[in-house]
Amino acid sequence: MRKIHNITSQKKKMPETKRQFCSFQMAGHSFGVDILDVKEIIDEVVLTKIHHAPSEMLGFVNIRGHVHLVLDLRLLLNFETKSIDEASRVLLFHPNVGESFGVMVDQIGHMIEVEESLIEYRLSEENISGIARDFRKSELEKGVCKLKDKLLIILDASKFLNAVDLKR
Amino acid sequence: MKQTGIATKIILLSCGIALLLMVVGCILVAKYEMKLLNNITTVKIDEKEQYYLYRLYQEKNALSNHLTKQLDHLVSMMKSVDRVYAQTFEFQIQSLLMHPMVVAAEFCDNDGQSFLAAWKDKTVQVEKKFPKSLELFKSMVIKTHTGIPSIEKIRLYYSIEKLKQQLQEQKEQDMNEIHETRKNVHQQLNGLFLAQSIGSFLVVALLGIALVFSLRLLILNPIHHLMQIARQLKKLDLSVDINPSTASYELNSLTQALAQLLEGFRKIISDVKENAGMLSNSADTMTGIAEELTNHSEEAESKSNIVAEASVQISANIHTIADSVEQISDNMETVSSTSDYLFNNINSVANAIEELSSSLSHVGERAQNGTKIAEKAVHLAKKAGKTVNSLRFAADEIGGVSEFIQRIAHKTNILSLNATIEAASAGSAGRGFSVVASAIQEFAEQSSRAAKDITDRIASVQKGTYEIENVFKDVSTIIKEMNESSESISFAVIEQTKAVQEIASNALEADERARNINISIEDLTQTVNDAADNTAQVALGANDVSSRIQGVSESISFNRQISHQINETAIVLNHLSGNLKYMVDPFKVSHQSKSNNNNKE
Repeated sequence: MRKIHNITSQKKKMPETKRQFCSFQMAGHSFGVDILDVKEIIDEVVLTKIHHAPSEMLGFVNIRGHVHLVLDLRLLLNFETKSIDEASRVLLFHPNVGESFGVMVDQIGHMIEVEESLIEYRLSEENISGIARDFRKSELEKGVCKLKDKLLIILDASKFLNAVDLKR
Repeated sequence: MKQTGIATKIILLSCGIALLLMVVGCILVAKYEMKLLNNITTVKIDEKEQYYLYRLYQEKNALSNHLTKQLDHLVSMMKSVDRVYAQTFEFQIQSLLMHPMVVAAEFCDNDGQSFLAAWKDKTVQVEKKFPKSLELFKSMVIKTHTGIPSIEKIRLYYSIEKLKQQLQEQKEQDMNEIHETRKNVHQQLNGLFLAQSIGSFLVVALLGIALVFSLRLLILNPIHHLMQIARQLKKLDLSVDINPSTASYELNSLTQALAQLLEGFRKIISDVKENAGMLSNSADTMTGIAEELTNHSEEAESKSNIVAEASVQISANIHTIADSVEQISDNMETVSSTSDYLFNNINSVANAIEELSSSLSHVGERAQNGTKIAEKAVHLAKKAGKTVNSLRFAADEIGGVSEFIQRIAHKTNILSLNATIEAASAGSAGRGFSVVASAIQEFAEQSSRAAKDITDRIASVQKGTYEIENVFKDVSTIIKEMNESSESISFAVIEQTKAVQEIASNALEADERARNINISIEDLTQTVNDAADNTAQVALGANDVSSRIQGVSESISFNRQISHQINETAIVLNHLSGNLKYMVDPFKVSHQSKSNNNNKE
């Protein structure tokens, strides 16, 4: 009885009130992506460089026989690039976000569960006027989540691949 | 000069002031007049000059008008004639030069070139042009344009120099007249000034003479009389007669007061003279009596002094005896106390030496023990060093293990994150699993923290073991040194013990002898004390006698001093009366008393 009651209450509240984010650190700032977009986190990375590719593309990585493209999120967010160290991790995304790719982050954080009311979304694209192309990098931002001691910037994983394309 | 001193001064001063004032007044008046005269003449000269300038201007205008008219007349005349010949021109130009003021004239044709010119150079010259030597720029010019075709212009030069000369002559004449009148006035003023100064001198002289006569009559005669009286008083002659018989009221009252003063003074002096004689006589007798008294008292004093000195000497002798006996007693006491002190010291030295000997033997035993203990300690320190070394190795191994644990914790963390992701993607079905995953993540973090903690601790342990090793090395070297020094100590102690035992036996003997000395000295002290008491009593008695005799002698000397003082006072009195008489004697009280005074003396 109790279990059933729990499940029903979760079903009611989950889509509306609670959301989960995978948080990580980049250059001293905290960012997050929707946990449903993330497929896996990888710690030991052997990169194969792609020549003639834009600098945002760090290279390919072989995960259990599958090849994935790895992007440098630092460059996408306009930070300076940094060499890979012990704390560096690769976030791999679901195929429904983009076809088999991941991003390199400085340090992985916790999985965070927050109430929907604590998230403030950005204004939709229509309101930003016609020069959206110049705001390519800011388009990666989806909104801001207010945590107890800091703000978590929420990124839209589905825009990452487009950001590289647009630059070309 | 002295008799007329005041008067002369007054007269000279007043006359001088009057003269000065008059002279100054004269000079001021003369100056003022001179200035006035000068002003008038300068005003006149200015007026004349202005008048001549005006005349010159008028004359100049009249001349130019006249010449212009003449030229106009000439032109009209030439116009009226139909034809004009060259001779006619010459005649005309010469006629123009007839005027005394005209210097030169020039006829010009249509082009402005002169074709006929005439000028005055002693006689009238006529040429076609002016020679270049002719200077016309000083003179005035009149130009006319004629309507006649052959003569376009006529220039007429004339000078006003002669006019100016005439006027200048007239002006100089006038000026001379003015200067002459001014000179005359000047001479008259000088005469006036001379007359004024002579008059003022005369007035001053008259004033001086009048002053001299009046002063002689009114003031100088009575003053002369007073001066004579004063001269007599200066010689201390009080027998002067004063009769106030002068004309002026002030001097009369002055002489009256002086007469009264003289009378009083005369009386006082005569009284003083009599009294001084009497005083002198009585002082003489008093002096004689006082001298006798002094002689008697001096004799008595000298006798009593001899007695007093003898008694003092006796008492002093007895005192010195008593003092010396007392000193002997004191000395004996100090000797006794020193011998006591000596005895005590020797006793304590003997005891101390005994104690020293026993403690030295103890030290020897201890030193030998120390050597053995040090050997043991060296052995133990070496063992401890080895143990510490093995401890260090163990710590290193633990460090490796903790690193391994940390790596496992990282892996677990990643695993838990992936599990969470999987659980989330499973949706509500994976809800339970997500709780488990988060718990695993927490464990992973805790184990990572613990591993880090262990690593830190191990590092500090390793540091500690290094330090301990170093310390043990130092300790073992120190123990070796200790061992060597304790061995040498034990040798030295054995030798010292022998020497101390010898000293102890000597000290005991000394103690015995000191006790004997002490006893005999105490006996001697007792007898000396008795002798001192007896002599002190004798000395007290002698002192008493001496002090009484001294009292008698002092009272006699006091008597002598008093009589001496009386004598001195009498002498002083005598002297004073003599002085008084001497001082009063010079005064002459009256004509008759002179002979009396001489008799008394």
